[in-house]
Amino acid sequence: MVQAILMMLVLGAILGAGLGIAAKVFHVEPDTRVDYISTQLPGYNCGGCGYPGCTGFAEAMVSGDADSWKCKPCKADQKAKIIDYLKNTPGPDGKTITIKG
Amino acid sequence: MISELIGLLITSVLLNNAILNQFLGLCPFMGVSRKKSSALGMGMAVVFVIVAAGLVTYGLYYLVLVPLHLEYMDLVTFILVIASLVQLTEMFLKKSSPALYKSLGVYLPLITTNCVVLNVCLVNISNGYDFAHMLVYTIGTPLGFALVLYIFSCIRERLDTADVPASFVGNPVALIVAGLMAMAFSGLAGII
Repeated sequence: MVQAILMMLVLGAILGAGLGIAAKVFHVEPDTRVDYISTQLPGYNCGGCGYPGCTGFAEAMVSGDADSWKCKPCKADQKAKIIDYLKNTPGPDGKTITIKG
Repeated sequence: MISELIGLLITSVLLNNAILNQFLGLCPFMGVSRKKSSALGMGMAVVFVIVAAGLVTYGLYYLVLVPLHLEYMDLVTFILVIASLVQLTEMFLKKSSPALYKSLGVYLPLITTNCVVLNVCLVNISNGYDFAHMLVYTIGTPLGFALVLYIFSCIRERLDTADVPASFVGNPVALIVAGLMAMAFSGLAGII
């Protein structure tokens, strides 16, 4: 029992340290718009838009892959809010995005 | 010995295919097969995770768990290793290939719960494979997964332009195609 707990602790510490180092090595600046939009989408990950999950659709809109609205379960006011947000918030490159409703 | 290993390789890639014969890993199979490029990326990510996880868990089991008589902890430790490796893969892809990272989306962290990965790690132990057999099985299974995922994505790209009855458009017809593929693959059973 004690051995098992100690073994898990040591293993967890080793793997955690490895991931911590990897996170430093592979660090990238995130585009905050993607995170915000994915929290505003319904979050069902239904795939009805043709992208892998809600985060996938949020990223497609931000990167310019999707230029029209494809989320069917989203409520109308939430949809207007997201389109408005994208129109008024410039990304790291200073550009805003227009999505056809 | 060599012919036995080749037999095991063919079995794990084609005859006992992870998706079509064991019905494992169906979530990414349906989820990332819409585009050939995402299917290939997913296949490669799964190959990396399974080979790394297979090697690490095999070593961990025989070098740490068996000497300490903690064999019953295998499931917990294996999941810990797999989750860490998936995290590592995710960070690496985010840095090196943002396009692929984007196209995989939520299915990349979901490799953690991809049952093919855990299945390979557990079968390596429960079948009592030696190192050579473990290596062949660990490489063969994800290759079979990647192969079927890629073939399926090619078919689905064609399905997009095909004249499918309205009520079958999208996932329903894809599931039927998956069933037909499983029937075709079961026909390979006689080759060995």
